Amino acid sequence: MIEIKDLIKNFGNLKVLKGINLEITQGEVTVIMGPSGSGKSTLLRCINRLEDITSGTVIVDGHDVMDKKTDINFIRTEAGMVFQQFNLFPHKTALENVTLGLVKVRKKSTPEANILGKKLLEKVGLADKADTYPEHLSGGQKQRVAIARSLAMRPKAMLFDEPTSALDPELVGEVLDVMKQLSCEGMTMVVVTHEMGFAKEVADRVIFMDEGNIIEENTPEKIFTNPQHDRTKAFLKNIL
Amino acid sequence: MGFDFKSSVMWESVPILLIGLKWTILITIFGLAIGFVLGAGSGLLKISRNAFLRKLAGVYIESIRGTPIMVQVMFIYFGLPMALGMRINPMVAGILAIGLNSGAYIAEIVRGSFQSIEPGQAEAGRSIGLSHFQTMYYIIWPQALKRMIPSLGNQFIISLKDTSILVVVGVGELTRTGQEIIASNFRAFEVWITVALMYLVMTLSIAKLLNYIENKMDINK
Repeated sequence: MIEIKDLIKNFGNLKVLKGINLEITQGEVTVIMGPSGSGKSTLLRCINRLEDITSGTVIVDGHDVMDKKTDINFIRTEAGMVFQQFNLFPHKTALENVTLGLVKVRKKSTPEANILGKKLLEKVGLADKADTYPEHLSGGQKQRVAIARSLAMRPKAMLFDEPTSALDPELVGEVLDVMKQLSCEGMTMVVVTHEMGFAKEVADRVIFMDEGNIIEENTPEKIFTNPQHDRTKAFLKNIL
Repeated sequence: MGFDFKSSVMWESVPILLIGLKWTILITIFGLAIGFVLGAGSGLLKISRNAFLRKLAGVYIESIRGTPIMVQVMFIYFGLPMALGMRINPMVAGILAIGLNSGAYIAEIVRGSFQSIEPGQAEAGRSIGLSHFQTMYYIIWPQALKRMIPSLGNQFIISLKDTSILVVVGVGELTRTGQEIIASNFRAFEVWITVALMYLVMTLSIAKLLNYIENKMDINK
């Protein structure tokens, strides 16, 4: 589903990713952990080319994202992205946030898009908020609308960039619940998060990154109970 | 010798001043129309990915902002015709001057508002598969436009007042009309107060109108 080979990403002289190799199969839930500055978010952003890569290859559903022949707008609908800061469109209602891509990218009629959009809002538990503007939604509600907005494009994979880090602790659960539900439905997911509980319950694999490298990867049980690398041990000790 | 205020002079000058006021309004409207197009265009060029286009917009903006509007007006009316070998109608020169001048300031307003929109907005747009242009048009532009309104209103008011500089090329706008009335009746005090009040009514109306638009947009946020 997603294939990453020798991925290197530099910002000027700063080496952010130093040769990442990773393969993510259909339906797999991969959680990426690591200290800030380890390159987790950058890795995620390279998958749908919000960042151009310096060298290496990233292949999403058979399409090389850096290939000039690849329609990058198409790749981005294949791998939906959910952001830490939600990034809802403040001038549009919850429903309009969800339907914008359906109408403008998928070329659906507005009534058709509205039916689909309402279904998706219902799926994330916000059917009653369709006409509400983002400023009147809580953080957890915003993030759930953002997930619905991504799902509207029927992506083959979902990328989550610290989806609960900007939320009040009591609002984290409602977002994680939606994510769990997605994984149950077989969605391929790559999640950058420090939510250990979520990782334990949902992830097929946990990847630990440090200074631009993947230094350890394993099933959640093994990585949490018996981490191999000293850096992983130190990190896990601190977040527990 | 006591000063004898004659309010009748004010009332008598109003009908003549209204003719000048009409021209002030027309020059402002046409000038700002040109200025808005120029400003939106060069403001967007200023943030384009092409270095040459950025430079081009930069030269225009800096050369206008760095020179007095009086000099710009004189150059367009007296200078350009020498090079072009043809005379320019003073009204046209005035509209051009207001347009070129306001365009440079509007460009900075447009650039600033676009850059004030969080990068996450564009990323979210691109993430659902919108093209660069669609993201600009559906996501960034509506939000930027809203943030521009107060500064644009300010620029509209400045440009309206700047039209009074056109007396130097003999455009029969409000200030010039005031001068002409005084030349025949010598009642500087009453006439200039009337002229000032007319400017004030116009600028306050613009401020009120923009306030209204701003509030209206806020409800639909």
